Amino acid sequence: MNNDSPMKAFLVVLVVALVCSSLVSAAVVILRPIQLNNQLLDQSRNIMQLTGLLPADVEIQDDELLQLFKNLDSRIVDIDAAAFDDSLDPYTFDKRRAANNPELSVAIPAQLDTTGLGRRSRFSPAFLVWQDDDFERIILPMRGNGMWSTLYGYIALESDLSTIAAAVFYEQNETPGLGDQVTRPDWLAQWQGRQLYDDQGEIRFAVAGGRVDPDSSSAAFEVDALTGATVTADAVTGLVHYWFGPHGFQPFLDRLREERLDQPIPGEDS
Amino acid sequence: MALQNSFMAPLIRENPVTFHVLGICAALAITNSLTSSLIMSVAMTTVLVISNAAISLIRKHLPASVRIIVQITIIASAVTVIDQLLTAFMPATARTLSVYISLIVTNCIVLGRAEACAMKHGVGTSILDALGNGFGYSIILVIVATIRELFGNGSLMGYRILELTRDGGWFQPNEMLLLPPSAFFIIGFMVWVIRSWKPEQREKPEFEPIPLPTEEER
Repeated sequence: MNNDSPMKAFLVVLVVALVCSSLVSAAVVILRPIQLNNQLLDQSRNIMQLTGLLPADVEIQDDELLQLFKNLDSRIVDIDAAAFDDSLDPYTFDKRRAANNPELSVAIPAQLDTTGLGRRSRFSPAFLVWQDDDFERIILPMRGNGMWSTLYGYIALESDLSTIAAAVFYEQNETPGLGDQVTRPDWLAQWQGRQLYDDQGEIRFAVAGGRVDPDSSSAAFEVDALTGATVTADAVTGLVHYWFGPHGFQPFLDRLREERLDQPIPGEDS
Repeated sequence: MALQNSFMAPLIRENPVTFHVLGICAALAITNSLTSSLIMSVAMTTVLVISNAAISLIRKHLPASVRIIVQITIIASAVTVIDQLLTAFMPATARTLSVYISLIVTNCIVLGRAEACAMKHGVGTSILDALGNGFGYSIILVIVATIRELFGNGSLMGYRILELTRDGGWFQPNEMLLLPPSAFFIIGFMVWVIRSWKPEQREKPEFEPIPLPTEEER
């Protein structure tokens, strides 16, 4: 057939499109389970590291990690109602999709939006750590705009719901060598033992402007600055202030402090 | 000789980055880390080989009127498959490279080689040409990334080489090297070095500068 006839052009495009689309679809379908498993492993590792339940210095096997993660008491918090919501499944709830869904999200009032998100999901996952019968830690997610990217992290609070037990940023695309220092383990280790709130219940946690002066009155609330990354550091302060402030988890945490938490009965928890 | 040439020429003499000045976007964006640059190089070379081979195979049946769209379809499919493979088997790296793998589709080197070589030559030559251009691109990426990561962050592939002052060492990193514009300077410098070494690469001036008017003429 003549190469320049319209029929030939049509046929060539059709065949190429068919071959290419089957290749792409096959790749997506075959690799999907592996990718989902990677995501789940990643999430389990990030959260389990904050529980304090992982053995130190021992490399944990993937299936062991997943088992531990499945045994964790995970729930959904209705942020605006300041209460747990048992009707949602914490394992299938997608907090990123929810933040873009008008029915599942709320606009953030501009004067409270210290982290530039615009909207947030009405619901959030929460992970609770129990030691024997005592409530020990709660792990809550946080996110916010950094210099170039959205920072995603988790924070673990001790049972007084103000002392930070651990924190992590598991996804960011800040400047390598500067803003991406938010993932430095030695810097994140400083978060441990810092207070979110002062005695009046005001949120005081902040990334300092330089090294934290241990004698200053705010030393209990501050971690060291990140060299050369003022914008990212301020963004971290902003996002913690939002998520643990009055429009974030603060009402929920206040209520938890007053009410006794019930440990789920093993086996009943899905 | 001709075969050898299609592989050797793009390495330095007709390097896609320094001679044709193509594929600059990704070269600026991801060269702040040697690891990402190496992965990007492998991905880019693979895409080039696949697209050049496939396009060369069907070149005699490609009507001129639809050839570009067919080429792009093939390139985009190869890129998508590689992107999926990376997220499945190297999730951490895939995350740092994020959008730049998908952006290989728009990398002019791939379409450029499809048009300039694969449409006119057999499969063997096209694959050699793709490998040559892929390696040529990789050489530039690796050199730029080595300079940027070593002097910008004191490390290579994440391993600490120079102790930074902020950790109590002696090396004060040049943080500008971590930002994309620094790659512009480094690539520009390399172009200058290569063109001083091979003056025939210098472009002819497009016009003679108008001489400034003398005192009397003014």
